[in-house]
Amino acid sequence: MNVSSMKIRDMRKALDNKDISVKELTNEYLSNINNLNDKLECYITVTDDLAMKQAEEAQNVINKGEAKSLTGIPLAIKDNICTEGVKTTCASKILENFIPPYNATVMEKLNSENIVMLGKTSMDEFAMGGSTQTSAFAKTKNPYNTECVPGGSSGGSAAAVAAEMCPAALGSDTGGSIRQPSAFCGVTGIKPTYSRVSRYGLVAFASSLDQIGPIAKDSHDCGIVLNSICGYDPHDGTSSHEVVPDFTSKVGKSIKGMRIALPAEFFADGIDDEIKSSVLKAVDEYKAMGAEIVECKMPSLKYAVPAYYLLACAEATSNLARYDGIKYGLRTDKADSYEELIIKSRSEGFGDEVKRRILLGNYALSSGYYDAYYRKALALRQLIRQEYNAIFEKCDVVLTPTTPTVAYRPNDMSDPVKMYQADICTVTVNIAGLPALSTPCGYDKNGMPIGMSIIGKKFDEATIIQVADAYEQGFTPVAPKL
Amino acid sequence: MKMDLEMVKYLAELGKLEFSDDELSKKADEMTDIINLMDTVKEIDITYDALKDNHDVYINDLREDVAKESLATSKVLQNAVNSNNCFVVPKVVE
Repeated sequence: MNVSSMKIRDMRKALDNKDISVKELTNEYLSNINNLNDKLECYITVTDDLAMKQAEEAQNVINKGEAKSLTGIPLAIKDNICTEGVKTTCASKILENFIPPYNATVMEKLNSENIVMLGKTSMDEFAMGGSTQTSAFAKTKNPYNTECVPGGSSGGSAAAVAAEMCPAALGSDTGGSIRQPSAFCGVTGIKPTYSRVSRYGLVAFASSLDQIGPIAKDSHDCGIVLNSICGYDPHDGTSSHEVVPDFTSKVGKSIKGMRIALPAEFFADGIDDEIKSSVLKAVDEYKAMGAEIVECKMPSLKYAVPAYYLLACAEATSNLARYDGIKYGLRTDKADSYEELIIKSRSEGFGDEVKRRILLGNYALSSGYYDAYYRKALALRQLIRQEYNAIFEKCDVVLTPTTPTVAYRPNDMSDPVKMYQADICTVTVNIAGLPALSTPCGYDKNGMPIGMSIIGKKFDEATIIQVADAYEQGFTPVAPKL
Repeated sequence: MKMDLEMVKYLAELGKLEFSDDELSKKADEMTDIINLMDTVKEIDITYDALKDNHDVYINDLREDVAKESLATSKVLQNAVNSNNCFVVPKVVE
């Protein structure tokens, strides 16, 4: 039995039938991590002792016949999700030694199902970036070509799934941070509807945009993990009371008659030809399955990247004000006064990209600039929502490329403006608070994965999983050669 | 628009950050390019409707005030320099 290549749903059966024990399963993944983490740098912290302890507990639950959906399933967790007693660094020097005194709500939910946590995965510092190269501790490599980036900010989670160093992982997505690395690493990732998953214990970047979601081998597995992390949480004032359905309930159902929107602007200049061609081939397959393709427009797309960065950085500058070197986090030893302690701790602890975004956020919120930038970005948020609402009056889902290029070499994207513009295909989803997933739809001439995004109506994750699964059934993924 | 050093210094001050002269000059160049990208939003003439957001979007679902056990002091202080169950900061009064 090749355990590492199994899907979560098959692992469930194997565990419940006692074909494999949780300990064997956990050992298999810890061994993969041991063999590959020096090369790929997916994990910042590997929690092997904890994993073995949790494996034993999970086995007892299974033996009693009380297993839940994820009991005994090994998972990796992005290092911006608070894990009680386990370092949570956000890939930042400022949180290098931070040990949370409490669990994020998603961890409480996963622990209540007796998952096995393998470790904490690398990311761009404070989730600010699309390459995982701003991580202070582990600059993750792409399993398909270790000279290329895995994407980001959840690059450690996506690369770990692709390299079979975990069967699934949690990431977070503020402007594409689950979907873009999933596309770059040839795996599937879902950003749920804003408010679906509690943000309590997710280290805040941009509170009106952040959302936790799963990355796995395919959309069905993503749905299984999503089932276990959603639901109302009184600790998060933006958490939704919406009923949580079984997100896998539509898997395998026909998509005949479904209306799939293609906004022309997502297929314009600036998107690589090989990506357009792969996504359009998938469109042909959907047509062959009986779906109706509807061409449409999203004129506001040209303003989406600046609107996103103005909103995200304005919120980030406020959220990051809490790092003062006093209550937790890096504390300088070079300060003589209170003011100096704060300034020096922050200046030593934050990396370059984080500092850039603090400056931009302060600029957007400053007197004299607030109306021209921040308020205009809020107006654009409303316009983008309106345009999606108009599309969803006539269509069931929207289909776009996930990224304008495949994974690149770090030096090819050292200019911040170029890096920001690369988020063009993903940011509107966060701005509008919609659910979306990215799933592989091909490989370029060099064998690098290409992802397509399926965007759904609010709270309609089940349909995007259904549509993605319909395509995945006929798609054969190519594993990275490691 | 070219962002001048004084503006970058002002933004850094607001963010409680300090930069060397070389870093400041580099940040000014980077911020000039970034603001040029942000200026795209000025091309469109639309107005933000705060009332619409209040109706349509933001959930502000506050809990009832219920007394519950809080984190233990030792847990709150576990990541800080502390003494006698207090956070320690440099002297702030003369």
